Amino acid sequence: MNIPSTSAAAAELEHRELALREWLAAHAPVAIGYSGGVDSAYLAVEARKTLGASGVLAIIGRSASYPEAQWASARAVAREFDVPVLELDTAELDDPRYAANPSNRCYFCKTELWSKLVPAAQSRGFPTVADGTNADDLADWRPGAQAAREHHVRSPLADLGFSKQDIRGASRKLGLPTWQQPSSPCLSSRLPYGTGVTRERLHRVERAEAALRELGIAGDLRVRYHEELARVELCADELTRWLEPTRHAALREALLAAGFSRVAIDLRGFRSGSLNVLHGVVA
Amino acid sequence: MTESERGDRTGRNAAALAAAITELGVECVLEARGGLVLLVPVATSVEKLQDEDTRRAVLALARQHGFTHVALELPNERRDDRATDDDASVLRD
Repeated sequence: MNIPSTSAAAAELEHRELALREWLAAHAPVAIGYSGGVDSAYLAVEARKTLGASGVLAIIGRSASYPEAQWASARAVAREFDVPVLELDTAELDDPRYAANPSNRCYFCKTELWSKLVPAAQSRGFPTVADGTNADDLADWRPGAQAAREHHVRSPLADLGFSKQDIRGASRKLGLPTWQQPSSPCLSSRLPYGTGVTRERLHRVERAEAALRELGIAGDLRVRYHEELARVELCADELTRWLEPTRHAALREALLAAGFSRVAIDLRGFRSGSLNVLHGVVA
Repeated sequence: MTESERGDRTGRNAAALAAAITELGVECVLEARGGLVLLVPVATSVEKLQDEDTRRAVLALARQHGFTHVALELPNERRDDRATDDDASVLRD
């Protein structure tokens, strides 16, 4: 896992950390859309350290597209670092515009999330709501960002120039277990655009990925849903390991048990936004 | 010449890709699913694809023939009679 290693990079990171603390102090109290992923965990813990327990509220939006393992991890981090948490249920799957899985699906998800989270925060005395969007995200296809803007959600990590690598470095300094955690987008990102998002499909993907973790697969991992076929994307080290014929049966059986009838390993391995490429949304 | 032999409007040409992959010594059935091409191998092909250089070559060929993703189907030893050692790379709709 790469983190800033040169003295110039370390100084730049320290400058950003200081700027973030100043931003938090200027906008306190702050509620944070909190998934427990690398970015929002760092933001929540940094806010807790800067503002105290009364100055931050981490809000989790729970739905079928949010993995159970991620939820457990989010709660564990909050407990360990004494970050106050509020949990809300979101119902993006009940929105037919989301369930149809268009290429701007994330817009409808985030609209549902922020339309519940922002009023909940404000009613509890948190006028500022922030998310964990980072500077790298700005270069990616992120239709959900529009929903955040429409709900006046702030993105201090992106605004202050924090890259994912910066956030991992800063998280490591804080002792956050998430510093080397793989990125963890919602489960719907495993379904190609145009393939309807249903609870059954999300649960199948979630079972499949959990089963592969049980086999000891580490690093970035995605099980892409192609109807009866599971296409597994693994990081480079794991790809080489799992292409050994002696290991095939275990991987295959795990995914058959999760509900797929055919299993394939992607030869290029893990690609963030892989299905955006497949559908020509990005090159 | 059929449309699949010429390549479709997206520039994808699964038949030509199947032939090119055979020349690498990787024997398999090809199944095209939009920009994804699925390799259904015979057993020896799986071993060949453990080699990173061979994988890179297959990926490059797939890109040249208009595909963005290549995946190797894991053989089902109990079931699969679709691909045998006698198969060359062939195209399956």
